Amino acid sequence: MELLWMIATVLFLYSSLSFLWKAFDCRRNQNCYLLDYVCYKPSDDRKLSTELCSDVIKRNKRLSMPDYKFLLKVVVNSGISEETYGPRSIIEGREESPTLDDCDDEVDDCMYSTLDKLFHRTGISPGDVDVLVVNISMFAPAPSLTSTIVNRYKMREDVKTFNLSGMGCSASPIAIDLVNNVFETRKRTLAVVITSESIAPNWYCGTDKSMMLGNCLFRSGGCSFMLTNDPSLKHRAKMRLKCLVRAHSGANDDAYSCAMQKEDTDGRVGFHLSKSLPKVAVRAFTENLQTLAPKVLPVGELALYVIRGLRHRLRRSKETKAYAGKAVRVNFKSGVEHFCLHTGGAAVIDAVGSALGLNKYDVEPARMTLHRWGNTSASSLWYVLGYMEAKKRLRRKDRVLMLSFGAGFKCNSCLWEVLRDLEDGGAWEDCIQAYPPQSLVNPFMNKFGWVSEA
Amino acid sequence: MPRAPFPELSSSVRLKYVKLGYQYLVNNFVAFLLIPVMIAVSLVLVRRGPDEIMALWHSLQLDLTQVLFSVFLFVFVAAVYFVSRPRPVYLVDYACFKPPTTCRVPFATFMEHAWLINWDEKSVQFQTRILERSGLGEETCLPPANHYIPPIPTMEASRAEAQLVIFSAIDDLLKKTGLRPKNIDILVVNCSLFSPTPSLSAMIINKYELRSNIRSFNLSGMGCSAGLISIDLARDLLQVHPSSNALVISTEIITPNLYTGNQRSMLLPNCLFRMGAAAILLSNRRRDARRAKYRLLHLVRTHKGADDRAYRCVYQEEDAEGHTGISLSKDLMVIAGKALKSNITTIGPLVLPMSEQLLFFLTLVGRKLINHKWKPYIPDFKMAFEHFCIHAGGRAVIDELQNNLQLTAEHVEASRMTLHRFGNTSSSSLWYELSYIESKGRMRRGHRVWQIGFGSGFKCNSAVWKCLRTVETLVDGPWTDCINRYPVDIPDVVKL
Repeated sequence: MELLWMIATVLFLYSSLSFLWKAFDCRRNQNCYLLDYVCYKPSDDRKLSTELCSDVIKRNKRLSMPDYKFLLKVVVNSGISEETYGPRSIIEGREESPTLDDCDDEVDDCMYSTLDKLFHRTGISPGDVDVLVVNISMFAPAPSLTSTIVNRYKMREDVKTFNLSGMGCSASPIAIDLVNNVFETRKRTLAVVITSESIAPNWYCGTDKSMMLGNCLFRSGGCSFMLTNDPSLKHRAKMRLKCLVRAHSGANDDAYSCAMQKEDTDGRVGFHLSKSLPKVAVRAFTENLQTLAPKVLPVGELALYVIRGLRHRLRRSKETKAYAGKAVRVNFKSGVEHFCLHTGGAAVIDAVGSALGLNKYDVEPARMTLHRWGNTSASSLWYVLGYMEAKKRLRRKDRVLMLSFGAGFKCNSCLWEVLRDLEDGGAWEDCIQAYPPQSLVNPFMNKFGWVSEA
Repeated sequence: MPRAPFPELSSSVRLKYVKLGYQYLVNNFVAFLLIPVMIAVSLVLVRRGPDEIMALWHSLQLDLTQVLFSVFLFVFVAAVYFVSRPRPVYLVDYACFKPPTTCRVPFATFMEHAWLINWDEKSVQFQTRILERSGLGEETCLPPANHYIPPIPTMEASRAEAQLVIFSAIDDLLKKTGLRPKNIDILVVNCSLFSPTPSLSAMIINKYELRSNIRSFNLSGMGCSAGLISIDLARDLLQVHPSSNALVISTEIITPNLYTGNQRSMLLPNCLFRMGAAAILLSNRRRDARRAKYRLLHLVRTHKGADDRAYRCVYQEEDAEGHTGISLSKDLMVIAGKALKSNITTIGPLVLPMSEQLLFFLTLVGRKLINHKWKPYIPDFKMAFEHFCIHAGGRAVIDELQNNLQLTAEHVEASRMTLHRFGNTSSSSLWYELSYIESKGRMRRGHRVWQIGFGSGFKCNSAVWKCLRTVETLVDGPWTDCINRYPVDIPDVVKL
């Protein structure tokens, strides 16, 4: 009988201990750490000055004078500097007929230069990578770009590769979501994500105004970053992922078609941005915030929001004229210290900043990124992060919110916690001292300022 | 992979039974071990006599607490065991796109179009020779835009093809499963050669008004084996999110990818690729286990991209005149064989019975230590699977695999007939093949299926499914109107 008791006790202890250990182990591996990231800095011969942009626009003989003025106006007032980069095929005059080699070269240069630096800085060998994700929206050759990287860096046979495409400017959080999910099924996994955009094959050579905006705003850029769920690498990690929210408003027809790659009436492919884009963006943004706010804000702020909301409703029912149209604002700064906003354009940054209750200091990283790098699509968030780090703003325990919009229409966000004081200059190293500049006005305003007057 | 089977000994009938006996012994080793133990215990009991046994039983003073505690312990251990198992992934159902007969491309049509588009005698003759030996039939289909002379490879036409194939497959699936679109939690789409912005996944979300918190992913450029990559991703997501389902769409859009040049290595895809799509519903809900068709047992991915030859063997590039096409290299079969070998090395231990693994291991040891001239033992995969779905990439691929795995004609029948009826539909071909096996009434409960996909990169991916309920002959599917005509005899060369 005693033997039976002993066996029973041992079994019980063993199963409860192993259950607890499994639960603890799961928890340990559920964290997603950002080990490092490297933003792409193209060579200086690829800089696109306003003068060069003007020459490129002039090369399109189909444009009339009003079209030309419209485009130049966009470029001059965009908040983009003379230091942004474009693909070689456009600078060398082949924008209307880029070859497959041009497209490959543009993307390969970005991927290889950032990955070489990333592996060098982290000291991790490509053979140790378990998961590889590439997201480049508008270029998906066969074999995929993930295969190109596996070939170049001779990665293992069992590496899990995922090539995301067509997912727009908000694809960075989508790639992080994918990796995070894979992390929860495997222990001690290392993932590398490359996010960029391909400009060369997507230059629009027609006359549809809604499709020409893309030409003016999109610039070359990219970023490679390394994620892991291995707790033993925590001491080397820069940030930890706290939560991620995705909102897709594609069910609505306006939302689906407001940012769409399609042919114009002459059969030329371009990226159409419709007039309803701001409205759609606001809707997607609100939807995302509704899910994000409870996860990010402290309980006190949420309670205050509820109370303010009730008070507002009571007052509105009594005095309709005075309080109609005034929305109740949430103070996001109570839960987040730094904001990485997608650099879709000056108007987008200002609108999002005002909706979140941000001041000039908070939106400075996004505005400066737009100025220095232009709209680099999905990788813009990482340049904004790079600015904050180069300015030594990121201190231990700070929280960073990344927020982006993209075709579909999606609004994706993720919240990071900084694990240690960060000080790398990164891609901003050689120019951070000059930021913020005295004025964001285009230096060629004198030469091209007449476009705003006419 | 060596082509010669296990030495001539196995042709001897007597030794065949010895082998069977050996396999039975090894696979049921534990049971065989228990027999002598059980005999010993029963002998002891019998010797004791029935009265002593009754006395022993009465002497066990089991009071209530002890009984309760034992029951509690049992329940607790069982709960821990069940909770710690990985979530099962069920394939509730799937649907394949059935192309309309108006899209049919008989050989005569194909050749006429090739001539009218290209005007190059040599290219047309080359494509004719390929078609003669391709194993394709006269009922394969190309999208409407490719029926125009010249074809219309516009983005609008490509989107139209995508909408036609994908929405038809999804509508079929929704009808079969009774699934409401708002209940879809995860969406994974793979289409290699057409990737518009917004993505095809956004197109589906728009059409079916899916929820805003859906987890959608759009994979592109990943080749003909991307269907299993999507299943892999869906599986990982289902491990993380409880009580969820996932819709996986596998397709290839042909419209923008017709090659209009004359380079021979790039003309092959024109001859083989055809329209197709599949929609698959996966779930991890226990209540779906009752109506699910299959359960995913294993999924293994192998990437041979580190080898330069493997990376370049299926490569999209421009020819000398600037026409874009996919070139297939001459050593495609060799590379496919090597990729398969790597994949088998991982999947073998997971699926092969102990007898085969032991034989393989012993032969390996023997080759290394005793005599390196021993022929390597090729495990008999027919013991692990009842059905095989080999990607219908082309006749040569199916021949090569049939040889390597020593499969019979019946095992590769699904692949050959899919290639004949539908052509190479890229990542969705595996689902057409599975549908063939079901339509023939061959799928029974407990049967295991091995799906093998190959694709650019070079990748070899395989999935193992177990059938959960005997599938009645399909009422509605891509094979409904023609299954009775199959299998057909496909000659080596069809004279055109």
